[in-house]
Order: sequence, then C-alpha cells, then structure tokens
Amino acid sequence: MLSFVRFLFAFTIGSHILLVSTSISLIFLISISEFLSIRHNDPTYEALARRLSKMFVISFGVGTASGIVMAVELIGLYPGFMTLVASTGAMSLFYAEISAFFLEVLALVLYVYYWNSFGSRLVHWIVSLFVVIGTLASAVFITMVNAWMNTPAGFDINAFTSSGFKTITGVQPYAAFITASSVDQVLHVVVTTLFAGSMVVGAYFAYWFIRSKDSSEKAMYGRALKILGAIAVVTVILSGFTGSREMGNLLVNQPLKYAALDGNPVPGTNLPDRFFGTVQGGSYVGGFTLPGMQSLLAQFETGITYLPGLSQFPQANWPPLLVNTTFNLMAAGGVALGLFFLFYFLALITKRRPYESRKFLYAWIPASVVAILVYQLGWATDEVGRQPWIVYNVMTVAQAANTSAGLLVPGILIIIFYLAVVPSSFYLYARVFRGSHSTEGTAA
Amino acid sequence: MNGIFEVNFAAFSVFAALLITEIMGAVVLLIAWSAREKVLDYLVPIWEVTGTFGALWVVTGGFAYPALLVPVSSIFAPLLVVFLIIWVARSASIAFAEFITKSGWLDETKLYRAYSISTLVLGLVVLILLSSLVGGQGVDLSSGSFSLASWATAGNILFVVGTLLLGVGMAPIFFGLSSFRKLVLPLALAGVAASTLSYWLMSADLITPWIAIPILLTLAVGLLYHWPKTVRVVTNKAVFLAVLATIIFSLQPFVYPKVIGQALAVDSVTTAGAMADAFASITVVGLLLLALMLAFYLRIAMRGPSGPDVH
Repeated sequence: MLSFVRFLFAFTIGSHILLVSTSISLIFLISISEFLSIRHNDPTYEALARRLSKMFVISFGVGTASGIVMAVELIGLYPGFMTLVASTGAMSLFYAEISAFFLEVLALVLYVYYWNSFGSRLVHWIVSLFVVIGTLASAVFITMVNAWMNTPAGFDINAFTSSGFKTITGVQPYAAFITASSVDQVLHVVVTTLFAGSMVVGAYFAYWFIRSKDSSEKAMYGRALKILGAIAVVTVILSGFTGSREMGNLLVNQPLKYAALDGNPVPGTNLPDRFFGTVQGGSYVGGFTLPGMQSLLAQFETGITYLPGLSQFPQANWPPLLVNTTFNLMAAGGVALGLFFLFYFLALITKRRPYESRKFLYAWIPASVVAILVYQLGWATDEVGRQPWIVYNVMTVAQAANTSAGLLVPGILIIIFYLAVVPSSFYLYARVFRGSHSTEGTAA
Repeated sequence: MNGIFEVNFAAFSVFAALLITEIMGAVVLLIAWSAREKVLDYLVPIWEVTGTFGALWVVTGGFAYPALLVPVSSIFAPLLVVFLIIWVARSASIAFAEFITKSGWLDETKLYRAYSISTLVLGLVVLILLSSLVGGQGVDLSSGSFSLASWATAGNILFVVGTLLLGVGMAPIFFGLSSFRKLVLPLALAGVAASTLSYWLMSADLITPWIAIPILLTLAVGLLYHWPKTVRVVTNKAVFLAVLATIIFSLQPFVYPKVIGQALAVDSVTTAGAMADAFASITVVGLLLLALMLAFYLRIAMRGPSGPDVH
C-alpha cells in the first residue's frame, strides 16, 4: 500500500505541474504581448493577449482546483507529515500562498472581464503584472514548502524525533520561509517551470504556424513564438546556472542525496562525473565516466574539494540509486535543449528569424517533449533522491503515510480523473484559442 | 472569545455566502435558461473568487486547528473525495463554458448545465459536512469514521431542504428576476421554518436567543424586496452578499464553543503560542492586502459602462 500511496501522489503532482507550467508561461506571454501591443501600437499583439487570456482563465481554474485536490490529498495520504506541517512554520507558507491566490484571482478577474473599463491601457497592462506576481508567488511559496522538506527548520528537531513525533517545541513560524535550500530551489524551480511551460505553449504555436494558410493567424503565431523563443533562450541559460547552484546546495546541505545523484560509492577528491551506471559492491559499474569533472564543477560552485560518497551513510537511508540515471537523463536533456537554443540564438542575432523558420519550428515540437521529460525527471530526481525521507533526516515516508486499504478506490478514482482532466484541458485550451478570430477584440 | 476561531469562521462565512449565490445561479440556469444573462454577469467573474475563499477557509482551518486536520480529513475522507472530484468538474465546466464555441456535441449550454449540476452536488456535500459538524450525527469519533446512513436523520435532511428553499427563494432578489417575485416570501418563510425546525431536531441546545438574528435578517431581506423604496438596496449584489455573510456569521453558536454535537471543545484544539501569533500577524497583513485589492477591484468594476465583458 505504501508504494501505491507514493505512486498516487507522484502521479497527481506530475499531472498538476503540467497544468501549472503552462499557466505560468501563459501569463508571461500575455503580459509581454500586451506590453508590446502598447509599445508598438500593434493590434495583433493585443489580439494575441486577449485570446491567450481566455486560455489562462481556463488554465487558472483547472490548475487551482487541481491544487486544492493535491492539498487535500496530502492530508489523506501523509497525515503524519501534515500534522507536522500544521504545527510548524510550513503552515505559514500555505497561508501566505492564499494571499498570493487572492492577488492573482482579483487581478485576473479585473484583467480579463473589465478589459474595456480601464481608462488607460498602461494601467490595464500593470494589472497583468499583478497576475504575474500572484502566479509566481504561489509557485514560490509552494516550492518553499518543498525546500523546507529538504532542509527542515523552525522547530526543535531533536525533541520532535526523540519524543516519537509527539512533542513539537521551539516553533519559529517564519523560519520555513528561508531555509538553507529555499533560495536555490525556488530560483531553479521558477526558471525551469517557465522554460517547460514556454516550450509546451510554443509547440502549439509552432504546429499552427506551420499548418496555417491564413496570413493574419500566421502573424499572430509568429509574434507568440518570437516572445516564447526569447523566454526560452533566457530561461534555458538560467536553468543551467540555477541547476548548478542547486547541486552546490545539495553538496552542502544534503550530501547523501548529492552522493546518490552523482553515483559516488565512496567519498574522495578528484572524482569523475559518472553516467548511466549504478553502485554495486562499493564501486560504480556500467556506464561511463568523465575523469575529474565532478570535482572540477563542485570546486567551481562551492570551493569544496572532498566530495561525499554513499559509504559514509547507513545503507538503509540511501535513496533508490536509479536517481543517478534520472539525474543524468535530466542533465543530458538540458544540455540538448541548451544546444538547440544556442543555434536558435545564433539564428536570431544573425537576423534569420528562427521563430518563423519551418526548420526550427519542426524541431521545436519534439524539443518541447524533451523539455517536459526533463522537467518531470528533475522533479522526480529531487523527490526520489530524498527517499526514504519525507522531511529530510526527520520523518520517513513510511512514518508519515496513511497505508489504509480504504485509500485504494478513491486513489484509483483520482488517477482516472486526472487521466481525463489533463488531456481534455489541453484539448480545450487549444479549441478555445482556435475558436476566436485573430482580430477579435482589437480596435483594428 | 477565540480570535483564531472568529477569523476562520469569517472566512467560512464569506465562502459560504459566495457558494450559496452560486447555488442560486445554478438553480436559475437549470430552470430558467432564458434568464442566463443576468446570472452569468454575476457568476462568470466570481466563481474563481469563491474557490479562493474556500481555500482560505481550509488553510486557516488547518492553521487554527492542527490537531484536527488529520482526524477530520480521515473521518470525512469519502465525502472529501466526492467534493474534490466535483470541485474540479465544476471549475473546469464553467471555465470551458465561458469561452467554448459551438462545434460538435459540446457547447455552452451543456457545459453550463454540467456546472449547475456539479455546483448543486457540491452544495449538497458541503451541507452534509456542515450539518454533521454541527449536530454530530453520522460521525463516530472513536472509530474515526462517517456513516451517511446515520447522518440521514429528519433534522439533517430538513437542514438541506431548508437551505435549498432559502436559496431558491432568495435567487429572484439576487439576480433581479422580477417574474419570480411572488415566490420570494413564501419560499423564504418555508425555508426559515424548515431550517429552524432542523436545528431543533439536530439538537435542542442549538435553539438559543441568538437564532433570532439570522431569522430576522433573512425575513427582512424578503420583506424589503417587496417595498419599492428599498428594493434597490436589497438587490444590490454587494449589499446582499454582505447580509448573507452576516447571517452565516451569526450562526457561529452552532459550532462554538463546542462542535460535532457538543463533543469537542473548540478552544482545546486551537493553536497557541508562536503559531497563534503568526496566525494573527499573517491575517492582519493578508486582510490589508485583500482590502486594498478589493478597493481597486470595486473602483474599476463600478466604472465599467455595462458590467463585465462576459458575453
């Protein structure tokens, strides 16, 4: 039953982040489109913003409803964990997140439904920034909860564990906002989420740009792709940078997870980067290595030369060693996407308009699949890499979980439900966008 | 006086007021489709706000009563699963209905019907949950379980019926449906009578002098609707929502100081110490932000020449 509980939550969150990454990229695209429509007095950008805002309303509605499902699911699946959360500062993060929701929802309602009631277009555009801030703040606060799970703080951990999880003392309600991993994790999650969402939304526009024969529609898709291409170039660079910082943070604060991700059987200096093998009998077997590379990167990022190995930790606390492979796949996918956008950027600066080039757009569609896989692998690596802990070095998943057989039927219902909701949401986003005419709502 | 309880109950009152108006709208969409424009003018911009207040209630509840979070969710697990699935269905159907264009079998009418039905089911689930929190029927605290069969007493069923009568009776006021004007007072009276009787059947202890407040406020709204000088006041949506939230807020003696059929003292499970201070601080900051946002919202919404652009 524990495996089912793990799978159920992993499945739910994996589905949820697909919806959320799309939402985040949509609101950036909307806000930038409207800004450009004002700056260049371009009705196509305004029409794009208007049509996308309809998609965003749907994505917000389904995404927040799914978020509520996840919150309640957490209580049902991991009661021990949620009791700890509710009694410590992690709960403050959920409360702060609700404030972000209010900002997002009120600004969104004004932005979409009172578009024509604003005297100034600039003020209307500023409202879109509040939606952006609310959306980002929601993502930031929920990521902070995850960072708190990786590097718990704000209560007396010794008293809690030694009392058999009965005594929660020394509570500092705001400590969860800034834990040892919060900044690095938030930065990495925000940029990779924006990147993955932009790739998915971009794939939709790339497909229709290639297929469309209508010049006004093509002009709109081209503008969307121009913005999304720019977002992708910036965020793919930032993803690499923040990902490197994340690894540095793991090295300092979660050395066991670091050792598992890098496949280090024993600690040492001048360690190689290890790819696609596994640890057996105290050594790394299968796969291949790049001599000295791991130490070089670690020293560059943190100045640390002596790197941790799995042998330093009790084997019972090791995460599944598959994380080395998932980590490698994620990194390889990230590098491939980085190369794709390097070529894209080169085409951009040499004025070859890659956002309208069929060659690039054909490549964008499979690249978006890679981006989503990389995004999901990143999340899976982070979560599986923390196993067996739900709160690192404090509470294991087994100690937190509800393993009642009664969860089986509702759990299966939730899985079936998500299997229907996610594809139908994407289908309807597309249908709603395509259902509006390209000049709808513009003064043109 | 328990400030943390008051904040959580205030959040609930606003959420419940918004949900009741959605239920009223759902009923109108089902039985009087021709009046949809008046209903959608209200529903379309507000349904997301309802959800956000619902989330606020749940989160402040988790913050306020950490020891209850797990027992309550395990007792009501089956109801919560139904609630969650219906919640996503309701949100998805109205969001899609708003923007869908006719193509194939799926259209605006079908999606709004799906929204209406899911909202009514959602209301039913919430009413079952609330009535069991008030009267305690169906809840077995020792085994941590809930039985719908044990819940289905005359008092609880009448509670659902009374609320539905009140909702249908008040809908013509809220949505300005003058053709249903004659139904308002009879249905309001029947709703008040059924609700009061249901409280008495749930537990005679619930009938205290406090109950005069919600009864008088409800009847006052119905009566003022029939008086030409005050009709504009009670049909104003902000005023109506404020009165409705006040009516719900005035029902707090049903769940304070004791809840679940007087079995649990609320103060004994309320958070304390540093977390209580944090609750207060975050609430104050959150309320200030909310007030600022609502002020800006009203400033823009009131300026619009013909309401929101929802058609």
